[in-house]
Amino acid sequence: MTIDPADTFRQEAQDLFEQLEQALLDMEDRPDDLELVGTAFRALHTLKGSGAMFGFDALAAFAHHLEAAFDQVRHGVLAASPDLVALALAAKDHLRGLLDGSASADDPAACALLDRLQDVVAPTRHRSPPQAPKADGLGDDGPGGAAKEGGEAAIWRLKVRLPADALATGTNPLLLLDELRDLGPCTVIAHTEAVPVLDAFDPSTLYLWWEVVLTTTRPRGDIEDVFIFVRDDMNLSIEPVAAASDKRLGEILVERGAVTQAGVEDALARRPRIGKLLVDGGAVPPAQVEAALAEQAHARAPAPAGQRRPTGQESIRVSADRLDALMDRVGELVISQARLKQLVAGHEDIPLKAVTEEIERLIAELRDTTMGIRMVPIASLFSRFRRLVHDLSKDLGKEVELTTSGEDTELDKTVIERLNDPLVHMVRNAIDHGLEAPDVRLAAGKPRQGKVHLSASHSGAQVLISIQDDGRGLDAERIRARAVEHGLIAADSSVPDAELFQMIFAPGFSTAHEVTSVSGRGVGMDVVKRTIESLRGTVEVDSVAGHQTVVTLKLPLTLAIIDGLLVRVGDGRYVLPLSAVEECVELTSEADARSRGRNFLNIRGDLVPFLRLREFFASPLPAAPFQKVVIVSDGDLRVGLVVDEVIGDHQTVIKSLSRLHADVESFSGATILGDGGVALILDVSHLIEIGQVRDEIRKVS
Amino acid sequence: MSQWMGNRTLEVVTLGLDGEVFAIDAILVHEILEMVPITRVPGARSFVGSLLNVRGKVVPLADPRVRLGMECRPPTIDSRILVIEVELEGEPTIVGLLADKVFEVTEVAAAALEETPRLGMRWPPHLIRCVGKRGDDFIIVLEIGRLFDNADLFGAPETAAPQLLSA
Amino acid sequence: MSKTIMTVDDSASMRQMVRLTLAGAGYEVVEAEHGQDALNKVGAAVPSMVVTDLNMPVMDGLTLIRNLRALNSFKGVPIVFLTTESDEDKKRAAKEAGATGWLTKPFKQEQLLAVVKKVLG
Repeated sequence: MTIDPADTFRQEAQDLFEQLEQALLDMEDRPDDLELVGTAFRALHTLKGSGAMFGFDALAAFAHHLEAAFDQVRHGVLAASPDLVALALAAKDHLRGLLDGSASADDPAACALLDRLQDVVAPTRHRSPPQAPKADGLGDDGPGGAAKEGGEAAIWRLKVRLPADALATGTNPLLLLDELRDLGPCTVIAHTEAVPVLDAFDPSTLYLWWEVVLTTTRPRGDIEDVFIFVRDDMNLSIEPVAAASDKRLGEILVERGAVTQAGVEDALARRPRIGKLLVDGGAVPPAQVEAALAEQAHARAPAPAGQRRPTGQESIRVSADRLDALMDRVGELVISQARLKQLVAGHEDIPLKAVTEEIERLIAELRDTTMGIRMVPIASLFSRFRRLVHDLSKDLGKEVELTTSGEDTELDKTVIERLNDPLVHMVRNAIDHGLEAPDVRLAAGKPRQGKVHLSASHSGAQVLISIQDDGRGLDAERIRARAVEHGLIAADSSVPDAELFQMIFAPGFSTAHEVTSVSGRGVGMDVVKRTIESLRGTVEVDSVAGHQTVVTLKLPLTLAIIDGLLVRVGDGRYVLPLSAVEECVELTSEADARSRGRNFLNIRGDLVPFLRLREFFASPLPAAPFQKVVIVSDGDLRVGLVVDEVIGDHQTVIKSLSRLHADVESFSGATILGDGGVALILDVSHLIEIGQVRDEIRKVS
Repeated sequence: MSQWMGNRTLEVVTLGLDGEVFAIDAILVHEILEMVPITRVPGARSFVGSLLNVRGKVVPLADPRVRLGMECRPPTIDSRILVIEVELEGEPTIVGLLADKVFEVTEVAAAALEETPRLGMRWPPHLIRCVGKRGDDFIIVLEIGRLFDNADLFGAPETAAPQLLSA
Repeated sequence: MSKTIMTVDDSASMRQMVRLTLAGAGYEVVEAEHGQDALNKVGAAVPSMVVTDLNMPVMDGLTLIRNLRALNSFKGVPIVFLTTESDEDKKRAAKEAGATGWLTKPFKQEQLLAVVKKVLG
């Protein structure tokens, strides 16, 4: 049963009429009883407000006049005279008529009533009639609506100072900034100068203010409307910025009133870095220069698509070797910085510590920028397959449609390069073994043309690449037979299909019926798997017999440097990729004792299997008194790793292990620590596998 | 084994392993380090059971005593690490080679294996490049390439393989 | 987990309107008939946001806002009031009492949702 609010209102209105009538009748005896006046007022107030909401406009309009009268009574401007009460009672009957439709707004009687009411009501305060009101500033489209699009884009400079209690009263400045972003590209500079030391810090007080440079096609009013609720209490300035995109920093500072023209000229005379000179000279606080620089950058930023000017300065070609060299230098810098951090850790020198932290931040940014430079859209790789698919389909007499998605997904260029061969192999496989010949497809009720779909997408710190075909799918029975033949499984074992499918990655495993000219040339899925694993990725295959096969590669975004968590296990230090770490918990002695022989932990009601890395690594030292459990995850699977100590964050420059350690599966690489020591990087997916297997064993036994 | 014959000499680095003197081709040796902190690699074969930092590179550390069937005592003040370059599956790779002692860089003259039945018998012949003669002493020059031959290594029975501890 | 919004209004139809609009947008809605009722109900769980009328019996909206803001758990919780007046004094008083924003009655469903999005994100 759906409830129509209008029906609810009708019922409610009947109650309100009763209340109103009762109050009015009592008022005849007790005209000074404010309680009665209040009741009458509220009844009329609700009739007006709710009536207008549910389409009873005439009733709302009429109630408004009566409400205005009783508001005056409430405030002592008007007396609850018998005349007024009589008038109100008559008006109430009219309202009732308006509700059930037996009366209309232009009844002569109603007009007479209104006139009399107008006579009674003191003309001191004029109230606007209720027809027009709307939520101020919130147009029918609401904020972010598509209204008023298409004007000329203008650049505005905003200074946004909210009241200090804005947070406490429920205003979220971030949402306001987000709303500004909805209006157009924004550069936001936060001013943190007023943030006090920690001891004096009140979390519910707002210490920040913002400068925003906004490019928008919307009128100024739309910008103001963002701040509608706080407009009266805040300090907001909105100024247009001339669109000239190559303004000098000094000009911007003068325009912003941060410094005088003379000051700029004085500094200019001394050249070359005006911002630095002004700061050093004490003419301008650094935050001001930073803000001006951000504005300059915003104005210089390439215009949105379509307006981009064809200049030759937007990109330059750099040889890949130089990028690699740059990455190596950054890697060395990160390692040196780790050493510096460790040296400084033992000092009490505050300025030294501050500089070290600054350097750490800068290096982290440099690292991110450098890695960003190395990112290449996967489109460059996908586009190579058009030709391959075209040639293959001719050679094999199959009709193939290649589709791609997520070409914009970016990956480290090294990863892209090394992905080429595995992808070629898998696309060949899909067409050669996966897709059936056209007549076979028709016989199976499928379209003649087979489909191969290549897709790429982001998933957290990983990129997923999948190759999907709508061919015959994997033959589970055939794979089972081959697996038995290879001694991978016992002849009578019942292995689920999903696990069988993964066996195609085993070395030397091939189920192709015959060796064609295309596939089966010794490069098997095991090579694919090895290549992907050398990129710290994983590969999985899924298939529906007769319908499709999907091979999914999961790859890390970059190979070079990751954020890691450094832990100690016995005498060794190890790094866990921070992206895989969910949380760290204490291994309480009770949990420790309870878990003996069970190897799973209760994490908020979930049973999580865990590995004691000390035992797993056969560490010679005794366990620390308070061991920690680091919960790591890979997809849905989780495992707890028991370590002796969690040392902390570590920017990890990944060094691959040599072929001499190709057989060691627990580690995906190594890194150099601040003290020059070497820490191994744990291979989380492998450890999770082991944890899960042990969990299985536990369940079985 | 012995491809250089006659009077030709070979420049070698001589080193001590379990009280015996061996040599390796000096051209392979990049540098010689005193003992530095090393990192154990749990689960790795004991021949290459650890890693070390050599000028910002992570380098595996090999203990030739394992391959030669010698007793592996802990490092002493005399222990050294020879940083050498070997070819692994066609890729030049920097590795560290642990020695109980490093004596000198010297030249040795070739000697025929037949002259040294005692030495020839004691060590796996495929690990011996040749026998060098220095004065009256014979020195075994190790065949470093074979020492690191992965096929060889993975084929070898291994006692220190990682075991899943039973739950 | 969906966010909970409390609607405080003595008008059942108004509460229903708010409930239907917000529930349709995926919010949990808790209703209270007046200020005192609201105060009683927030003891159990602090909502993510409060939408309150100003003119109500027993305890009016202004008093409710003052009372809520006096609670530590309501620091930062958006409180939006509904008002039929375009009366600036009333708005100012409610803002001074600690209200986050307002919505003028009558309003359309989209306008209520726009305000919720504005203060709640």
